Amino acid sequence: MNTPSLDSLGLWLRGTSVYRSIVRHGSTETNRNRSLIVFENLFLHVHPVKVREKTLRFKHTYWLGGITIVCLVVLVATGVPLMFYYHPSVPQAYQDMKELKYVVDNGIFLRNLHRWGAHLMVFGAFLHMLRVFYHGAYQPPRQFNWVVGVFLLVLTLFLSYTGYLLPWDQLAFWGVSVGTNMAREAPVIGDKLRFFLLGGNAVSENALLRFYVLHCVVLPVVLFMFLGVHIWRIRKDGGVKGPSEDAPDVFHEDEP
Amino acid sequence: MKTDSLKLRRVLAITSVIFLFALAISPAKNYFREYRSIQEHFRKLGTSRARSLKEAQAYQNHPVAINQIWMRDFDNRVDRCTTCHQGVSDATMAKAPEPHRQHPSTAHTPSDIERMGCTSCHNGEGLATVRADAHGTTADSASPLTPLVNIEAGCGRCHTTDVVPQAALLSRGRALITKAGCYACHSVRGHEQFRSEAPPLNSIAVKTGGEWVRQWLKDPRAMDPNSTMPNFQLEPQQIEELANYLFSRPVKLELAAAIAAASAEAPGDAVNGKKVFSESRCISCHTVEGKGNGSAPELSKVASMASRGWLLAFIRDPHAFSPETRMPRYHFSDSESRDLVAYFESEFKDFGAPEGILNPLHVNQTLAEKGAKAFRSLGCFSCHDPGQGTIKEKFGPDLNGLGDKRAASLDFGRRIDLNRTLAAWTTAKLSDPRSFSAGLKMPTYGFKGDDTRAIVTALLSLGSQPVPEAFHPSPGGTPTPIPGGAIGKLVQQYRCLSCHQIGTQGGDISTAPLTFEGSKVKRDWLVNYLMVSFTIRPILEERMPIFRIPRDEAEKLADAMTSFYVNPAIPEDPFAGRPASDQNAAEGQRLFVSNGCRACHIVGASGGYYGPPLTDASSRLKPGWTFKWLKGPQAWRADVRCPNYGFTDTDALRLTAYLETLRATSAQKPSGGKK
Amino acid sequence: MSALPPLSPVESNDPVEVPRRVALVRPDARPSIRRSSDKFVMAYPHLIIREVILFQVVVIFLTIMALIFNAPLEGIANPVETPNPAKAPWYFLGMQELLHYFPPFVAGVLIPGLVVVALAVIPYARINLTAGPLWKGSDEKKTTLAVAGVASVLVLFFGGFQCWAAAVPTAAVAGAMFMARGGSNGGRWKQAMARLTLPQWIMTWFVVLATVLTIIGTYFRGPGWSFVWPWTRMVHS
Repeated sequence: MNTPSLDSLGLWLRGTSVYRSIVRHGSTETNRNRSLIVFENLFLHVHPVKVREKTLRFKHTYWLGGITIVCLVVLVATGVPLMFYYHPSVPQAYQDMKELKYVVDNGIFLRNLHRWGAHLMVFGAFLHMLRVFYHGAYQPPRQFNWVVGVFLLVLTLFLSYTGYLLPWDQLAFWGVSVGTNMAREAPVIGDKLRFFLLGGNAVSENALLRFYVLHCVVLPVVLFMFLGVHIWRIRKDGGVKGPSEDAPDVFHEDEP
Repeated sequence: MKTDSLKLRRVLAITSVIFLFALAISPAKNYFREYRSIQEHFRKLGTSRARSLKEAQAYQNHPVAINQIWMRDFDNRVDRCTTCHQGVSDATMAKAPEPHRQHPSTAHTPSDIERMGCTSCHNGEGLATVRADAHGTTADSASPLTPLVNIEAGCGRCHTTDVVPQAALLSRGRALITKAGCYACHSVRGHEQFRSEAPPLNSIAVKTGGEWVRQWLKDPRAMDPNSTMPNFQLEPQQIEELANYLFSRPVKLELAAAIAAASAEAPGDAVNGKKVFSESRCISCHTVEGKGNGSAPELSKVASMASRGWLLAFIRDPHAFSPETRMPRYHFSDSESRDLVAYFESEFKDFGAPEGILNPLHVNQTLAEKGAKAFRSLGCFSCHDPGQGTIKEKFGPDLNGLGDKRAASLDFGRRIDLNRTLAAWTTAKLSDPRSFSAGLKMPTYGFKGDDTRAIVTALLSLGSQPVPEAFHPSPGGTPTPIPGGAIGKLVQQYRCLSCHQIGTQGGDISTAPLTFEGSKVKRDWLVNYLMVSFTIRPILEERMPIFRIPRDEAEKLADAMTSFYVNPAIPEDPFAGRPASDQNAAEGQRLFVSNGCRACHIVGASGGYYGPPLTDASSRLKPGWTFKWLKGPQAWRADVRCPNYGFTDTDALRLTAYLETLRATSAQKPSGGKK
Repeated sequence: MSALPPLSPVESNDPVEVPRRVALVRPDARPSIRRSSDKFVMAYPHLIIREVILFQVVVIFLTIMALIFNAPLEGIANPVETPNPAKAPWYFLGMQELLHYFPPFVAGVLIPGLVVVALAVIPYARINLTAGPLWKGSDEKKTTLAVAGVASVLVLFFGGFQCWAAAVPTAAVAGAMFMARGGSNGGRWKQAMARLTLPQWIMTWFVVLATVLTIIGTYFRGPGWSFVWPWTRMVHS
């Protein structure tokens, strides 16, 4: 990799005015440049410039929140191309699954990634919640972030559940029928809630359309809003907190 | 710190390489999809088989792509089978190795490929472009390919009639299903009105004896090989209970009276009985020691089965005993029927039978009550009308949609030896229904080999999808109605439908359907034939029985035939008003000889006897019908052996004229029954 | 105090006009400010490269999964043909399993609703913030009585509904709670158990229950929600 020609190419590239206009920091590994990398970048600037070394240890967080976010990224990256091939109508929705498998290039791969990514995200979110609980990381000042996390978990479940109906196969239809029948048992509003969710009294094309809109627009927007708050609050609450035997953090004085 | 950062970068380099590699696998897999190499192979094969440079270039320039057939009539389905099977309608690919081979020519191929696609007949997953999925080789496949041995099941998806031209196996399967009485227990669309012809058991106590009933219940086929009753594999205890129940049933009053009166009559003359028996051609349906048609009971032991009084009363009016029986009511005189029974008693006896086989059973009430329960729980009532009101619900499971059941949804029970396919399951269900698990109720019919294959084919044709609109039978194809009134009564009395087909109904003992009889034969000939039916095709074992139909009845029937059972497509006069002699009959004769018609037909003194003699064809057949027949004999009945020579209209007319002008050189004498 | 002039805010960026303020604090009144001795590292490269590696590892894992296992796709939805059993997605199967024992309102609305509310209020319940290990620093007799009492009520409740899938794990967790008593000088596991606080025990109980119910619902339920072994073939009729 480190052939001289490649190195010189890299050097030339970094010297061009276009590159300089995009990336405003130097490329030498100075702490100043390292700081600039973080706070000059929209996507990285949620990070502090410096972090506690112990929070990088595997056992500190088991990277569970990170896994969940990576899954989310994968789900968006695969979900958008899947939307190109999908029609939320009966029976076209089901035919589209077959088209994905048999005609669309890499279609089955996209669908598989989306499916397994979704399962891993639900599972990761559960484990993340347990990790935070057992590490006592919900304690002040992080109470509110824990509540945001609970909302995120519920949203994740809803996202997964709404996506479950979209293939319109027997598994989807009956899985959602069973689930929405439970909703009916809620007192007073049960039947109305179910009607509102399904756009009718049974799982039908209306339900498919509603679940589609919820899955692709409403729930992701809400999820990203809560996720923004969640991540921003991590930083504001003094970074990720690990096992509870750590001394409680003091969060005003040490902010770098 | 520095080393930590370096280590991190090294890990990043490794994961980056794996990352890129992992993401490249799926596009690579996508590029090397199965169908691409198959199409490549097809191109090469086509090029090597091409007969001209241009053709070879066409194969070379064939683009690699997914091909599909849009089936508008079939719910807008799409079949992509031709992605791999590219040679289906390509004559260059005749006898090429699969998957490139040309489809054999059938009624729908190659003409209807673009309209009907592949899965409409073959089943399978049309959308799939992967072999395993397209052919549905997994047990949970929603639509597996129909095995080629049962391929006629595909015909039956749209052709729902009992007889389907050009689908002999399917037609045979459907006939066997009707004959075995499957519809009595299982509901199938279009057969809701099915009534079993099993006797209603309303006179058992005066018909036969306790011992006979026991033996019969143990194994009906051992008593009568022609029996349609299956073996229920009953326990001795159950047999005893059922026998007691049957003998506890009251005998219908008028039957009891008729039997009592008949048994009091003086015995008849067995010698004359034998003559009546052979003249009436009983073995066109019955068998005697295996000789005969076999669609009605074996008679060689009949005198050990039923009492003399019952036999006599039954022969005189079978329909009073069993409204659904196929046996016609003959015009026997009282003495003739007495003679017949005397003949039975002298010769048709089971000489090895136990002494008191016809002794009545002394009914034990407790056993009879248990028997009544068993009668219900075994489903006997489905075939044997117990006279307690009609049963609405079918005893067995609904068979509609059977052909579209997923193998994974079937209960294979103990039969782990079977392939997990619908065809294997259905075959095993037919040949050994009780082997799947304990407590199953379906009796053993003992279907064998080809019969099983035919029935499986017919069952697999019961799809869950409705017949597409465009393929609905045209209004002209509706079953020809049987007239009511006096004619209907006569048709009923002589049970014409037991042997002849009319439209989509009727049996297949006779090779002559009556659907268009009025367009086929001349009225006067028909009247004579009905009164004394002589042999038309001596090679056939089954002959029209002599019912001794009185002239007025015969005339009524013949008139009805000529007015009801006509086909407007058959011209009354093919010569368009000109005399037959105007046609070139001599040329017709030449055609008759040169095409080898003599091999099967007798004209004058010589000829084969496979087909009917044609010497006096002009007195029997209407020329319009002869003309139409010559244009395509198979339009009449699918199994007609007379070849289709593809005559032109002119040639067919000349042949017709030849037959029409043939003067009977030696009038055939009406011969009696089978000697 | 009264001698002080009234406060007048100065809005200026001129360092001369806005002087630095110095506060004098008496040593005994100093607010406790603890300085963390934690070592800090630069987020780039230490955190960010780790995040990229995490991303790649997770994507590689998912890619392999996606290449090996196809997402399930059954026949087209058919409202007439009910599969037996009809199952919800796996994360709802614990709930569906409860549905088998309890009236739908309890299993489908009350319990999940309570769980979500309970999860949300965890940080605000005082007990969590102050609690030490269950058996430490509290009246052992009282704790024993309370744990035994609550556990037996729960076991009886679940047992009353024939819900052994919940009753047995509840009893097992209660047993573990007693085993943790005085475990501070036992093996590693015992020590870890001894450190658990009451809220942690409750969460453990919840997790065990949810896991057991979900596993039973996923693998051990056949036609008519009857108990089957996972290795017996599922036969739909």
